Amino acid sequence: MTDLLTRTRPKVARRAQRIGLLVAAGVLTAVFLVRTLTGDIALVDLPNAAQDLVTLTVSVMIESLGFVILGILISVLVQVWIPDRWIVKVLPRNAAARRVVISVLGVLLPVCECGNVPLSRGLVAKGFSVPEAMTFLVAAPIVNPVTILTTYQVFGFTDGILVARIVGGFLIANLIGWLFSQHPAPGALLTEKFAADCALTAGDDHDHSGSKWQESRDLFAREAAAVMPALVLGAFIAGLVQVAVPRSVLVTLGSNPVWSVLALMALAFVISICSNIDAFFILPFATTFMPGGVVAFLLFGPIIDIKMLAMMRTTFTTKTLVQITTVVALMSATIGFMVNFYA
Amino acid sequence: MPDLKRYQGLALIGVMSASTLWLAATGQLELYVAPKHAIFAVVMSSLGLAAVLVSAMRVTVHHHAEVRPRMLGRVAAGVGGTVAALVTAAMVLLPPATLTSATAAQRDVNSTAALTDTTTLDEQSAPDASTANLSLLDWASLLRQTSDLGFYEGKTVQATGFITPDSDDPGNMFYVSRFYISHCAIDAQAVGVPVYMPNWDDTYDADEWVDLEGEFAVNASTSSSQGIAVAAGAIEPVPQPTDPYIYK
Repeated sequence: MTDLLTRTRPKVARRAQRIGLLVAAGVLTAVFLVRTLTGDIALVDLPNAAQDLVTLTVSVMIESLGFVILGILISVLVQVWIPDRWIVKVLPRNAAARRVVISVLGVLLPVCECGNVPLSRGLVAKGFSVPEAMTFLVAAPIVNPVTILTTYQVFGFTDGILVARIVGGFLIANLIGWLFSQHPAPGALLTEKFAADCALTAGDDHDHSGSKWQESRDLFAREAAAVMPALVLGAFIAGLVQVAVPRSVLVTLGSNPVWSVLALMALAFVISICSNIDAFFILPFATTFMPGGVVAFLLFGPIIDIKMLAMMRTTFTTKTLVQITTVVALMSATIGFMVNFYA
Repeated sequence: MPDLKRYQGLALIGVMSASTLWLAATGQLELYVAPKHAIFAVVMSSLGLAAVLVSAMRVTVHHHAEVRPRMLGRVAAGVGGTVAALVTAAMVLLPPATLTSATAAQRDVNSTAALTDTTTLDEQSAPDASTANLSLLDWASLLRQTSDLGFYEGKTVQATGFITPDSDDPGNMFYVSRFYISHCAIDAQAVGVPVYMPNWDDTYDADEWVDLEGEFAVNASTSSSQGIAVAAGAIEPVPQPTDPYIYK
């Protein structure tokens, strides 16, 4: 019986693979055909505002899609193909020095914040302390080459926005790491389920039943399932704000040194847009909002927003998330006020 | 029972990548992103399609323990999934389109401080200066620098754009306008030349593309904030150009 299963399972698996490939190829071909057929046909006569909402949403989706795909592919590369011990071994032994190095690890692992949540979970499971994983989680979306490059593309060195973002992200990450390293039992910061999961997988160097290629395929699909709906929703809300909120309201809020900071932090929390492209999103607001508001948006949004809190809740307790949110909000606002004062 | 959530992300990447490549193949990708980002979008969409096809070959794999989301999380996921499906369907089913006069009016034509001065008053005051090659962006740039009618005397405006009604005097004034874009449509800023023409909407429609030729005069509108406007110019309807945006 066992021999029979052993012989038949590979056949079943290969057949399932072929069916999956054929279905996917068929769906994508159908998309091309439908797109070609509907390319010139107005199926519905949308009012201008609704038409612009679609155009703006699709624009953000196309602009950010490439960065999100890149982030998922690198996340797969790091989690499946790079041995965890390579990362853990090169770190200093001193706790503060370790956190400093960890907070710039995003330079080597340039995934957006969505990809960082599963990556941080994996790092905890492989030996990072909880405060160290938090430091990485907070710093990596900001202190990474893709985010720095896109922020530079959009703002250059205008008003110190780029420098304030990088330095601010680094400082907030190390402050969070230091604060939680004072906790007497850091394991209590984790949800019970995730803590149990870590205990099970401790010392397990990707002990999965399939090959690395199989694990890569599965991880790509899981990351895509976690990130893509949030991306589309974020693009839609970004478009909606552009169409629905009168410019006069934005100008009133944006020209006040305090409200410009608080309003853009609230906006960052709601729209939950990816750190790799948030600079593109905030660009049109840069003409009406003071630079400190833009900096607060670019610091707070990558770390704390609706989407990130939902994802982080899979790992940290609610109390821990409230504490992290409070610290990050206070630090982002303070840095924003300082930029408004000096810029 | 297939794991539908697993395929949701693959489906979104697949459909969005396929739509992006179709837009690029039909020369319409620049309706959404700047040409400088087009190559990156095409390369990553191609990689995304390949990854989707490879990932769709489902095999048995080990799963880490997953936490079942609470009620609020499930509702949020349901709303997010529905919006994602509708928006993605719109991306496939609706014809590609430019932004309209609604967004131009919402963002206020010529309001942006980020508008670079593409030409200066000194350059255009030089004895050998010619207005023949000035773009709509150049005219908008000059209008931001001065509304002194003496500067514009003898200078003929020639420009192509779509009609955006003036928000202060929509019955008698409009802008011949275009969008100026740095990265993608979300950062579009409207630029344009004001035109005074009483009851213009008897002859033209908002969003209609026109060729404008005329000279500036004191604005006869009593409710508009514009001090000068093109008056009694020749205005000819034209098809929408293939490159409707002005890219930085």
